[in-house]
Amino acid sequence: MMIPVIAYYVIFHYAPMYGAVIAFKEYTPIKGIIGSEWVGLRHFQDFFGSYYFWRILKNTVIISLYALCFEFPMPIILAILINELRNRKFQRFVQTVTYMPYFISLIVICGMIKDFTNSGGIINTLFTYLGFDDKAMLQKPEMFRSIYILSEIWQKIGWESIIYIAALMSIDQEQYEAARIDGASRWKQIWNITLPGILPTIVIMFILRMGNMLNVGFEKIILLYNPSTYDTADVISSFVYRKGLLEFGWSYSSAVGLFNSVINLTLLILANKISRRVSENSLW
Amino acid sequence: MKSNRRKLLSMLVLTTLTGSLAAACSSTKSADPAPSTGPDNSSAPAGATSYPLKSAKTLTYWSELAGNLTGVKSAHADVPFFQDWQKKTGVPLKFSAPPTNQAKEALNVLLASGELPDMIEYDWLGAFPGGPEKAIKDGYILKLNDVIDKYAPNLKKYLKEHPEIDKQVKTDNGSYYAFPFIRGDDYLRVYQGPILRKDWLDELGLPIPQTIDDWYTTLKAFKEKKGAAAAFSVISAPRPFNELGNGAFAGAFGVTRDFYLDNGAIKFGPAEKGYKEFLATFRKWYEEGLIDKNFATVDQKALDANISSGATGATVNNAGGGIGKWMPILTAKDPKALLVGAPYPVVKKGDTPFYGQKDAAYSPGGQVAITATSKNAELAARMLDYGYTEEGHMFFNFGTEGTSYKMENGYPKYTDLLLKNPDKLAPAQAMSLYIRGNYNGPFVQDKRYIEQYLGLPSQREAITQWQKTDVDKHKLPAITATPEESTELGKIMTDLNTLVDEMTLKIILGTEPVDAFDKYVEKFKSVKLDRAIQIKQAALDRYNKR
Repeated sequence: MMIPVIAYYVIFHYAPMYGAVIAFKEYTPIKGIIGSEWVGLRHFQDFFGSYYFWRILKNTVIISLYALCFEFPMPIILAILINELRNRKFQRFVQTVTYMPYFISLIVICGMIKDFTNSGGIINTLFTYLGFDDKAMLQKPEMFRSIYILSEIWQKIGWESIIYIAALMSIDQEQYEAARIDGASRWKQIWNITLPGILPTIVIMFILRMGNMLNVGFEKIILLYNPSTYDTADVISSFVYRKGLLEFGWSYSSAVGLFNSVINLTLLILANKISRRVSENSLW
Repeated sequence: MKSNRRKLLSMLVLTTLTGSLAAACSSTKSADPAPSTGPDNSSAPAGATSYPLKSAKTLTYWSELAGNLTGVKSAHADVPFFQDWQKKTGVPLKFSAPPTNQAKEALNVLLASGELPDMIEYDWLGAFPGGPEKAIKDGYILKLNDVIDKYAPNLKKYLKEHPEIDKQVKTDNGSYYAFPFIRGDDYLRVYQGPILRKDWLDELGLPIPQTIDDWYTTLKAFKEKKGAAAAFSVISAPRPFNELGNGAFAGAFGVTRDFYLDNGAIKFGPAEKGYKEFLATFRKWYEEGLIDKNFATVDQKALDANISSGATGATVNNAGGGIGKWMPILTAKDPKALLVGAPYPVVKKGDTPFYGQKDAAYSPGGQVAITATSKNAELAARMLDYGYTEEGHMFFNFGTEGTSYKMENGYPKYTDLLLKNPDKLAPAQAMSLYIRGNYNGPFVQDKRYIEQYLGLPSQREAITQWQKTDVDKHKLPAITATPEESTELGKIMTDLNTLVDEMTLKIILGTEPVDAFDKYVEKFKSVKLDRAIQIKQAALDRYNKR
């Protein structure tokens, strides 16, 4: 029984890793992976020595941290709030409405964001009433991260809350009854029963997320940014897109990808270790 | 082992012998050394290709579909021109095309896949990182020198008769790499410049602006008296103020956004004093609301909307695709509406503008390379050579006689099918269905096309107006770097252009003060601008020696 499983991993997960060697070569498709010449760590040096290296690293980390601080807790809060709703029909309605945006294509989402935040767009017009100046928001570097994270929350909150709602379902209802008899308020119930009940799920999701720390989705960044916001918006993946894909630098992109994966793996292991020590929840 | 080696040796000897024998035979028989390479019956003797070739093989062809066919046709196979091209040359083609505006990404994937079509139509000189020499060296495209000698007599003849173009279409090493698109007349090389609402000017009693100060007055009047919310708007994709890259406005201050020639020395515009003045001017205009507030995100669609809604009264665009496209929309609403070309702005009245849009005779787009892996190089070359024959010239520029043009006193006149299309297509779109004269391709463009394409007098006057610049003195010719240099240059340019775009936007938007310019010039130095100029200079020296 193990053989098909092992074969699957070997063929689809381990064999492609061989391709990563092009990060150490000057790869051209005609010569192939084997025929291309070795260049050692040159692509890594190019990347670390790049004029923009520190800026894109900083932006990547900041956007990831923002996402971790603001976007990660949102689905949990939503799940708890939905759980507190007593009306079943209303509960389902809220759930459907909040996870709907997840199914809109990213291109459309970004088009909407652009239109709304442009000078003359809905959101911008509202802001002008509040006394802000009427400038396209996506031209202001200081607004970019907020727009990015807020739209991210709006799009994904419902979808990501599903797993927490599922976890909530498995909490024993008798605990709540017992707590109510003891006179615990709603807040107390959430704090002492609901949260501990879904904590293992939260921790697992958190660890998994650490393994994606540096993978800020480049599609959305590329669709939203422009040179005036590079300062805060340019992340590793968008930089690699500009530099690697548009300039046919396969080896270069692959080197940066490898660097990314190493950092992500380190963070994943670290998070797992800390969590095992602190909360006894861990992936392995 | 031993016997194997011996077999190999004898085989080698045998093949060399027969090879030389064959060569000897053919050289005694005729001066034409082209032996038939396969069972394909199309391989007629070189120099005497007669069309159609009646090929049994189908060739594969990768090319972007003309932009103005978006929404009209979705595939090459549905476009009459490409159907007729196959009939006329007798070579069946199988087309593949990248999604609109994604040619570069799609080509990247295509090249990485390693399975290349026989022919690729792309800007190998300007858009391929590393340039043509690198594309040849990396094994993507074929060095065409032999192929052209043997199978493309018409192109060869044309290049022989036009040595100045011959110099442009090859690299420093003398390699030919593509079947080029050539603008056959000086008049065809200028097609872009500043455009204004003349009817507004007349109404406000203003003259056509000449100087930067005139422009300020004009835009202010447009905004205040005509209610133009985005008095000046220009396409900003893929780079901010993309169309100003050809020297409009910055040219008034004696610089461009790119490299240019100044008394024989190569300079980089954004690092020069003049660019600071340009930025200061535009910052002022932006602050006063004369420039589109959303300018950093304006694309073709947004500009079209701005112009047709009357939010914009001034822009920089093409005579054909701009004035020609907008005029019918504007006059439908307001019969008096009139768009005209304005001269490139200068600072001091009476000066000749420093720079302006002008393509080289060898224009970057539409060139077709034969891939290095193609097994049908000969057939492909013969097929592509058609564009440079007498018959092919007429076909590419004017289409099929009787359908898209009629001969009147020796002048090929476009029919109403193109100029007043029954399906209500704009001339530019209708033309792209039947001819390639209005965009590009492997042929020589004919002046008689533009004479008819620019149907409105204001379009023709605009071109004449835009031609009056000193661009010839300042524009760099089609220089090519060596593969090693271009890898280095590529790295520098990505950083450099990112910096320029950031600086331009930030200073104009007011995020940073105008004096931040000096800080950026310092940064240019640390991303090795000096080295970039050195490389360009070396390439220019080599070009001059060609």
